[in-house]
Formats: sequence, structure tokens, C-alpha cells
Amino acid sequence: MGKIMAVHSYKGGTGKTLLSINLAAALAKTGKKVCLFDLDFRAPSLATLLKVKNPNCWLNDYLNGSCEIEKALVDISERIGNSGKLCVALANPNTEAIREMSSKDRKWEMRALGRLLALRNLISNTGNFDYLVFDTSPGLQYSSINAIVAADLVVVATTFDRSDMEGTQRMLRELYDLFEKKTYLVLNKVLENPTRHKSDLQATVKDFYQVPLLGVVPCYCDILKAEGSTIFAQDKPDHPFTRMLNALAAEIEKNIA
Amino acid sequence: MASQEILSKKPLHVLEKIKENLEKLNEKMEVMIELQKHGKKDITPPLTDTPLDVMTLLSMPDHLRKTAMTVCRLGRATADEIAQQTHRARAVESAYLNQLVIMGYLKKERKGRKAYFYVERESQG
Repeated sequence: MGKIMAVHSYKGGTGKTLLSINLAAALAKTGKKVCLFDLDFRAPSLATLLKVKNPNCWLNDYLNGSCEIEKALVDISERIGNSGKLCVALANPNTEAIREMSSKDRKWEMRALGRLLALRNLISNTGNFDYLVFDTSPGLQYSSINAIVAADLVVVATTFDRSDMEGTQRMLRELYDLFEKKTYLVLNKVLENPTRHKSDLQATVKDFYQVPLLGVVPCYCDILKAEGSTIFAQDKPDHPFTRMLNALAAEIEKNIA
Repeated sequence: MASQEILSKKPLHVLEKIKENLEKLNEKMEVMIELQKHGKKDITPPLTDTPLDVMTLLSMPDHLRKTAMTVCRLGRATADEIAQQTHRARAVESAYLNQLVIMGYLKKERKGRKAYFYVERESQG
């Protein structure tokens, strides 16, 4: 039986999408069968970042009930060297589609939750995948909360930005606790500080958020230089960021096995 | 005299019926007990046709949320199956499930002696 992992954050720009893509790729490179879902319908990015044009179906269509999930999956395994399997299901980046998705009512959202929960068939014993990775919209919106509810575990990306820290803390307490979700934190874009010990940071984070810290990802200028067009796990297998992500993937495997 | 005849014909069937009715009675009692425990405010049926979406789940009292979330995840389940997931007593889950039915968030369907609870998604809207 596989697992569903949602990657979420309180604020935008914390690195959810970069983490989602590279975690999915890191897991796939270890031989796992992984499917990455773009659930950020307000600001879709995977279609552009992964340069996938015109899939048979968008994830929007699946949630609208107008296509089977299999038709929305695009196999990009060859990009990671065919070690495992990596598929993506994409949010439609057209403005019209974004507008349409942001005007859904509560009943639609309830059915969408049902369809997200039905994705569990993909990871059942007869299913095709070991991991589903949900890349979500930031903050407390319907699509993100649906994704959190449907997931087995949530990785929350956060930074040292003060408003992000406080918002994340509140979100964990007032939303995640209510749903009793298995949650891990990833501190992203952390500036190197030679005087800070890793164990100190771990304790501080645990104390502040009351959630275990999965990993600390330093801030790399190379990521900015890549302008979003690189799957580090694929293009730069020896980059420290890739190694960090491999470690995070291993940690996830260890924790949810 | 007539009832004796029935008894001699199908005693097992009659006993089954009695058991079934007792179970139904038991469920109603459980709901009443829960009602008293939590006060009526928790289980007032929604004024509008509020669906069981994540926002509804968030606004629910903790004890009901746990049950409702489990039904959402399983899709369709008996009180027994829910109890296995939540690690609470079957009778407790049965009471919460029936509360959720009264509140209009869940549907209940009897098949033989088993009662199944589920979220009605497709026929709405």
C-alpha cells in the first residue's frame, strides 16, 4: 500500500513546488513509482516547469468528473533516467480555467474531496504507484485543505520569514491539529550560520511549531539561477540541494514505512 | 395461539427480528445518551443544505469530526469498521454516526442486519 503526501505552506514562495518536484524525482530515482499532482489551481506551475503541453486531460477535468484519472497522467519517467516511474497530473494554466476553478461552490469542493480520496485506488495493493505527491496552493483555501485531508502525511515548507513563521505556527495548531494529520516541517531557504548547531535548530523548531523537523534546506543561488527550469534530481545529481532532497526522501521513507 | 404457531414455525426468524429491533432500539438510545452528554447545540440539523465539505469538518466538535473524517476516507462503512479505525468503542461510533445522520451530513442504509454509513456526493448539486 502506497502513501499520499501533500506539500503545503502558509505563505507563497516558500519552495513548495521546487520541493514537490524534487522530492518526487528523488523518490522515483530510488526505484519508486511516483505521481506528482499540481493542485495549485490558482497559480498552476508544473505544466510550464516540466514543459508538458496539452495533456489528454487536465487535473481540472478529473475533479470536474469529466475524465478518468488515467487520462490525466503524463509519464515523464525518461527525464529521471528510467530508474523508477514518474508521472504528473497537471493543473490547467489557462486564465479561463483558473477563473473557473476559483468560482466553485461548496458542493463541488465536497465532490472534489471525494475524487481526491478516490486517488487512493492508484496506491492500493493493485494500484500503479508507491507515492502520490500533492503540490498545493499556499494558505487556507479549499483546494489545499482538501489535499491535506486526502493525504496520509503533510510536508509543510516554511522559511525564517516572521510572518510565515507565525502563520505556519497558527495553521499547524488551528488546522492540522484538528485533522490529526501526520505532519513534518521543512525549513527552506536557510542562510548558513556557522555558529548554529543543527541539534539546537531541531529543538527550537520542535519547540516553536510542535511538529518534527524533517530537514533544513540551505538557500542556494543556483536554484535562483536555474529560473525554475531544472529538476535538480535529474540535471544536477551531485548538487548539495539534490543530496539534501535525497536525504529528505530517505527520511520520509523511513518515517512512513 | 396464533403467535405460538408462528414461533413453532420459524422460531429462529422471530428471534432474529427481535434482535434486529433491539439493535435499532439500542442505536436510538445511544443517540439519546449522546444528546444529553453533549447538549443539543451540537446536533442541530443545518439550516441550509450544508454539504460535508472540509469547512464543515473544521467547524464540527472534535468527537464528531473524527468519525466524519473516517467515513469520508472509507467512503462507506459500518460502525464496526469506523471503530476499528478510530480505536473507540463500536457503541460510541454508532451514536456519533447516527448523530451525523440526523444532522444531515451522512446517509444510512440498512442491508440485512448491517447498517452502512456514507457521504452522499454525486446526487447533490
